[in-house]
Amino acid sequence: MTTVASGRSIWTDQRRFLLVALVPTFFFLACFYIYPTVFNLETSFTDLSLFGLRKGGEWVGIDNYVEILASGDFRRVVWNTVIWLTVVGVSVRIALGLALAFLLNSPVLKRWRLQTLARILLIVPWATPPVVAIVVWRWLLDPRVGAINATLMSLGIVDQPVAFLAERLWVWPALITIITWNTLPLVTLTFMASLQSLPEELLEAARIDGASRWQQIRYVYLPHLKPAIIVMVLMSTFWTFNNFVYVWLVTGAGPGLYTNVMATEVYIQAFINGRFGFSAATGIIMATIMTIFGLIYLRVVAERELSEEQT
Amino acid sequence: MRTSAFRFGARFDLGLLGELTIVAGTLLVLFLLVYPTAWVIVASFRTPETMFVAGRWEFTLDNYVALLNSGFWRNIVNSLGLCLVSVAISTVIAVNAAYAFSRLRFPAKRSLFASVLFGQTFPWIVLVTPLFILCARLGLLNNWLSMIFVYVAVTLPFSIYLLVGYLRAVPRSLDEAAIIDGATQLQIVWKIVLPIMLPGIVATATYAFLLCWSEYLFALALLTQDEMKTMPLALYAYFGENVTEWGSVMAASALTTLPTLLLFLPLQARMTSGLAAGSVKQ
Repeated sequence: MTTVASGRSIWTDQRRFLLVALVPTFFFLACFYIYPTVFNLETSFTDLSLFGLRKGGEWVGIDNYVEILASGDFRRVVWNTVIWLTVVGVSVRIALGLALAFLLNSPVLKRWRLQTLARILLIVPWATPPVVAIVVWRWLLDPRVGAINATLMSLGIVDQPVAFLAERLWVWPALITIITWNTLPLVTLTFMASLQSLPEELLEAARIDGASRWQQIRYVYLPHLKPAIIVMVLMSTFWTFNNFVYVWLVTGAGPGLYTNVMATEVYIQAFINGRFGFSAATGIIMATIMTIFGLIYLRVVAERELSEEQT
Repeated sequence: MRTSAFRFGARFDLGLLGELTIVAGTLLVLFLLVYPTAWVIVASFRTPETMFVAGRWEFTLDNYVALLNSGFWRNIVNSLGLCLVSVAISTVIAVNAAYAFSRLRFPAKRSLFASVLFGQTFPWIVLVTPLFILCARLGLLNNWLSMIFVYVAVTLPFSIYLLVGYLRAVPRSLDEAAIIDGATQLQIVWKIVLPIMLPGIVATATYAFLLCWSEYLFALALLTQDEMKTMPLALYAYFGENVTEWGSVMAASALTTLPTLLLFLPLQARMTSGLAAGSVKQ
């Protein structure tokens, strides 16, 4: 193939490559995301149960949706998912991530030669698989053998061991602590990378103008960090809202169903109660909420990714 | 003026006390972050009797011996095999797709890329039930092919997203020169672009591996036979309702964490040195 005659062959070669490149990707995505979602939508209008799995369920119209939306339990589930898990969980993570990024970027640490050590140790919680994180935190929080209760008792802060994961007062703060511990490094590292790309001139200019430390944060650092914060808020929202494993393995949605969230509700209805139709309807509601968030995310991220490619 | 005076806080002379406060604060935070994982690894070498007793320390390998004798090696093989095969397939597909999205023009490119990204935001739990029903009907529960299929699909969106980012740092002049030399697209991707973006591909494959390695939900639904379970499933099974076998739990936890720790440490150097540096070196 020579350059002179290849005008056409480059074009056909590109088309052949596009087939090789895109067909496998969309085969997997279609089979994995689209087909099950369509199947789910269909199931959500039936009373399909675990026992009737082979013969299929009866068509019940929108009964499942009516039952879900009328139920007080579901309002509790939505509240837990949106307020506790997502709003509180994500805010805590972003706030601590910012604070930690500022702390670890401090010139003091560089002078004390602690920066590399800090970066390496910061990775550890992130490199801990969630199941291991859950196991070790369940031990830490255990009323009988756990280190946290032992420390609190020896310091005289409490007289009786606190069953953090069984008491309504403590169960949400405990869950959020575990999730935050496991996911904080990623957020912190992203903010640290963003802080390091801040042009020195901006800071210099702010100092010459006599900006106080808080003014520097407010008018120089935060505007610079804004894109990183937006992406991290969106990504964290997906990860937490959609996450099943933390709540299920830490509390099993308990005590009772006190910490039940949408992901665990979908699982419980299908695999514990055997109500696949009802579970599918819950899943469709959940997917709809995430689709709205997904569209916001696409506006922010995909636009930026592709618009840079076009130039 | 000291050279370090450029960074945050330096203009406000903190004095030695202020500096010590920052150093002590940092060390405290780092201690809290590392303690749980470090404890797992230390505890896995202690006898269950002394595990929770402060000050008493008996070194033992019994936890590991008991764990492996109870068949945990089977779960290690399952996890390693499943993750390696899935990541290999997913990375090959993702490299081609990322190149197409990054360099070629074709109809509906934006919508197609958007739909790939959308995969990242979709709640997996919603897919679990239909996949379970479909696999049950087709007799594909406890089947490696269906697990590989799931893990490839799960890792693809994120891998493509990351690789498109890495490709941006690869100069286009190279591809253009190769086209003029008469190379086909596949040759360009696998012979010319691949060596340059190898660090990015390694990082992407590592992320994908970690994602599979710690995946719990799909494995929980689709693998019900004990001898087919992956490490996270088997590990949690030792964490019983009433009697927890702490020795096995800690040894299994340490073994599950070890590969991810080893893979993450080199990765962090790359993350901080930046994507650009990786491609400039070539």
